[in-house]
Amino acid sequence: MISIDQSVMKTETLDLNNLSSEQTALEIRNLDLKYGDKQALFDVSMKIPKKKVTAFIGPSGCGKSTLLRCINRMNDLVDNCNIDGEILLHGQNIYDKKVDVASLRRNVGMVFQRPNPFPKSIYENVVYGLRLQGINNRRQLDEAAERSLRGAAIWDEVKDRLHDNAFGLSGGQQQRLVIARAIAIEPEVLLLDEPTSALDPISTLTIEELITELKSKYTVVIVTHNMQQAARVSDQTAFMYMGELVEYADTNTIFTTPKKKKTEDYITGRYG
Amino acid sequence: MENMNLNKHISGQFNAELDDIRNRVLAMGGLVERQLEQALDALGNLDAELAQKVIDGDHSVNGMEVSIDEECTRIIAKRQPAASDLRLIIAISKTIADLERIGDACVKIAAAALDKRLKNQQPLLVSIEHMGRHATRTLHSTLDALARMDAEVAVELHKEDSKLDSEYEGIIRQLMTYMMEDPRSIPEVLDVLWAARAVERVGDRCQNICEYIIYYVKGKDVRHTSYEEMKQI
Repeated sequence: MISIDQSVMKTETLDLNNLSSEQTALEIRNLDLKYGDKQALFDVSMKIPKKKVTAFIGPSGCGKSTLLRCINRMNDLVDNCNIDGEILLHGQNIYDKKVDVASLRRNVGMVFQRPNPFPKSIYENVVYGLRLQGINNRRQLDEAAERSLRGAAIWDEVKDRLHDNAFGLSGGQQQRLVIARAIAIEPEVLLLDEPTSALDPISTLTIEELITELKSKYTVVIVTHNMQQAARVSDQTAFMYMGELVEYADTNTIFTTPKKKKTEDYITGRYG
Repeated sequence: MENMNLNKHISGQFNAELDDIRNRVLAMGGLVERQLEQALDALGNLDAELAQKVIDGDHSVNGMEVSIDEECTRIIAKRQPAASDLRLIIAISKTIADLERIGDACVKIAAAALDKRLKNQQPLLVSIEHMGRHATRTLHSTLDALARMDAEVAVELHKEDSKLDSEYEGIIRQLMTYMMEDPRSIPEVLDVLWAARAVERVGDRCQNICEYIIYYVKGKDVRHTSYEEMKQI
């Protein structure tokens, strides 16, 4: 008789409402955000589990990028931006006055829509963050560069031209280089804001493959317009609409049996 | 499938594709229903000509299954349906497989009608006629529930199958008596038994289709669950 390994067929799902503190990487509590008079986020609360990929989806202007940017306080740079509520990292509110933003961003790295390497060599791009931390030991930097470039699945393509200008790389390679730069300083959380929207389908698949590998070490939060991408790479998905978190559940549920009609309409491509 | 909110996709082409596939399933259901009625008629009247017509007609049923399945594959490849759209495609793809098997059952029933020995055994056919009417009604209601995607009706229909099952058991007992009384009648009785078995299978297939309807509407797989559990979903 053939025995079937049930564990392969059953995917484990976390109970997102009852994550223990060890399982939680980030906790967002009652977050409101206003740009001037215009409220962009309404009372968002969620727990983002550790070493998993969490995707934010929703139509343009629904607040998903805003929410992502809150996680490493990128919105501090925006005038008139008012934030209420808390985001807890290690149980500490990152909006607390005591928190040093630079050290927060060392823990929470970010990658943007368009690859934005510095106008420097590939090597210097990767070790940039370490040099900022005052590390100049050649061996240490070499090791970190190789580890990060391998981690970002681009080492084999660039190992013979580490000192060439980063602008000579293709778009997909540049994006992976930027990811390597982000993981060189070993953050805990990696925020990806539509990381593949400027890339061709094959580079997109490479990045998606990379995201799946990254979650063994990092907590990944990704904003994407491509719903199939969210379905492919994420473990849980949050659907946002007009600044509200409509539904947050494991990705399998969201894409087969969503509970809310708005979610259903959005992911099946119907009028909202 | 009237209340299914199929027509609200931003892509009009996708609407048209889902509409088309839905109509084809219902058409296939209609064809299978006619096959079953005619097969039972043919058996009741031992009408060889009608029986042959049913057997020949199975080609169309098979053809429809293949072409609808192809369309399902195409929609999955091109549209990557999600949530209720995905459940619809999966439910359709499974439903047509069961409809095709009901078509096969019709062929088996019709084949019995071709047996000339049954001419002297008319009484044997009376009990099957009643069961056949029951199965036809079940199939009709199931297709109706499918057209309206009515999960409540599907749950009730699912339960109904036990009645058909007990009718089948009754027929078996009756046929066994015949065989014991007159062993020379065994070949004919077996023919009738296979036909009764085919009719009983129609009920099981309808039950499967009810499960797909519930799956589409509620998003829950209710195979191998009890009536009580099904009602609670």
